[in-house]
Amino acid sequence: MGLAKYVARRLIYMIPLILGISLVSFLVMYSAGDPITIATMGNPMITETEKQFLRHYYGLDLPIPVQYFRWLTNFLTGNFGNSIYGNKPVNQLIASLSWETVKLQLVSIIISFLIAIPAGIYAAVKQRSATDYTVSSISIMGISLPVFFTAVVFILVFSYDLGWFPSAGAHGAPTLWPVFGIRNPILDEIAHLVLPALVLTLASVAYNVRLLRAGMLEVLRQDYIMAAKASGIQERTILYKYALKNAITPLLTLLGLSIGGAIGGAPMTETVFSWPGLGYQFVLAAGRLDFPVVMGITMLITIFILLANLITDLAYAWVDPRVTIE
Amino acid sequence: MHILEVENLKTYFFTEAGIVKALDGATFNLEKGTTLGLVGESGSGKSVTSQSVLRIVPKPGKIVSGKILFEGEDILAKSENEMRNYRGKKISLIFQDPTSSLNPLFTIGSQLTEIVTQHEKMKKTEALEHVIKTLKLARLPDPEEEIYRYPHQFSGGMKQRICIARALLLNPQLLFADEPTTNLDVTIQAQILTLLKDLQREVGMTLVMITHDMGIVADMCKYVVVLYGGNVMETGMIETIFEKPHPYTEALLKAVPRLDQTKELVSIPGNIPNLIELPSGCVFHPRCRYAVDACKGNKPPLEEVEADHSIACIRWRELNGGR
Repeated sequence: MGLAKYVARRLIYMIPLILGISLVSFLVMYSAGDPITIATMGNPMITETEKQFLRHYYGLDLPIPVQYFRWLTNFLTGNFGNSIYGNKPVNQLIASLSWETVKLQLVSIIISFLIAIPAGIYAAVKQRSATDYTVSSISIMGISLPVFFTAVVFILVFSYDLGWFPSAGAHGAPTLWPVFGIRNPILDEIAHLVLPALVLTLASVAYNVRLLRAGMLEVLRQDYIMAAKASGIQERTILYKYALKNAITPLLTLLGLSIGGAIGGAPMTETVFSWPGLGYQFVLAAGRLDFPVVMGITMLITIFILLANLITDLAYAWVDPRVTIE
Repeated sequence: MHILEVENLKTYFFTEAGIVKALDGATFNLEKGTTLGLVGESGSGKSVTSQSVLRIVPKPGKIVSGKILFEGEDILAKSENEMRNYRGKKISLIFQDPTSSLNPLFTIGSQLTEIVTQHEKMKKTEALEHVIKTLKLARLPDPEEEIYRYPHQFSGGMKQRICIARALLLNPQLLFADEPTTNLDVTIQAQILTLLKDLQREVGMTLVMITHDMGIVADMCKYVVVLYGGNVMETGMIETIFEKPHPYTEALLKAVPRLDQTKELVSIPGNIPNLIELPSGCVFHPRCRYAVDACKGNKPPLEEVEADHSIACIRWRELNGGR
């Protein structure tokens, strides 16, 4: 069983990688400052003794190697510690926020690929046509416009001016968002999803289109495409079967990476839309130096990206017979 | 009877640098059931000729004018849909590089079966049977097993056999072999050439060997068309061409090494012409050792100078009469 052995070996190689990343993130964070000072900044009445008590309570007064070792032993048993803000178990916090992030990301990744595949193929086939220039220009715009800009513009236009979609949160509270006057929990969820998903899709679809267009242009020049044409194979088969399968491999890497990175959320988009997901929480926690939360989310992202890389490599071998798993 | 008539065919490539005149008025006929050698240096328009006949000239190339008659039918007047019934079925093409002309991500069985099922009303299993039969015809050992393999699992020679089988799947009347042995080992070259020769006899199709190798032409072909800079320099029976060649053909022949002679090889001075700005008059005149001022004037027409021998050269009569 070459495959099982390969997967086992790759999983074992991940262990030192995860440990290394955890150590670096830990050190970077501890050099950033003291969370207790930040937490108590708004309270002029607090005394130094009380601050010291808090530091002792969270174990922040211990030497850094000892703190790291304590964090690591907890992490290895699946315990991510408690957050400094709210004193909630980080595991629970992550679990409660994951779904909203995954929902938003999956929707945008799926839409992005559904748009990018036909658009990329079409732009490549009609190279240098008006359609190609239109698709390419929109792509460049999508790549160039930063998310915080498009997000704010969308909120202004579609939420503030037109009032079509809500501008914040994932659920209507206290009342549901009316869609065509109907207040329904599912429609409410969809309405909340529209703007952030659109912003995320815009940002990623552009990369996907350009990558697929370049890949298709490269593949369509190949002899085997001309050979298929010379054999009287239908245009449709050539494009969607023979060329696409060859052109889509670079996109597969991107898909793997975006699914792996998806769990970390899109910090910028989630922040602008106050989306109750991991990305927004990460930004909040990093600003407060809430070590356990930042470490927990960082480790989660790390593990997901490493696993996604492994799955991408396996997918490569599945698509391309020339790639052997060794 | 002529299976193929090409008349004043112009295929241009509209690039950003300018118009590349890959074929600039090519004219030749092809007798049914024979083997024709389409000869010329790289960039002379050999491959573009086959691509034009199949109407698969890649962008930004375009057939600008001229006539292509296949079995008397005007190919250039056919719709794209009608053309599909010619490609692979009546006219086939074997490429120079078997490695790049097979799709790396599909088994050879699936690639070849697709061609059969898209043209003939056949069940998948029948089509597969037919594919195996054709692979056997191309002398691929164990086709029953090999159809489940991918192109990279074959050697170059085996891949070219697969490509030959692919071209023969639908029993075409006309087969273009575009330098089918250039990318193969010398020993494999001989095998592939023998295979093509045998197949032509067995199947009875018309074969066009596209090559720059005069040795292959002498070995395989009955007729020759010599292309240079997108123009036909000379057409004729192989014997007449070797005997009284066009100055360009003569230069080509002198550039072929021979084991039985110790004469020095004579290379043709200069480079192939810039196809964007073709020389005036005879396109070969800048490199021709017989060129005179008159050669720079008008383009010499392709004239029948003797039976089965046409030449585009104003000095040929004078040169060959005097000898």
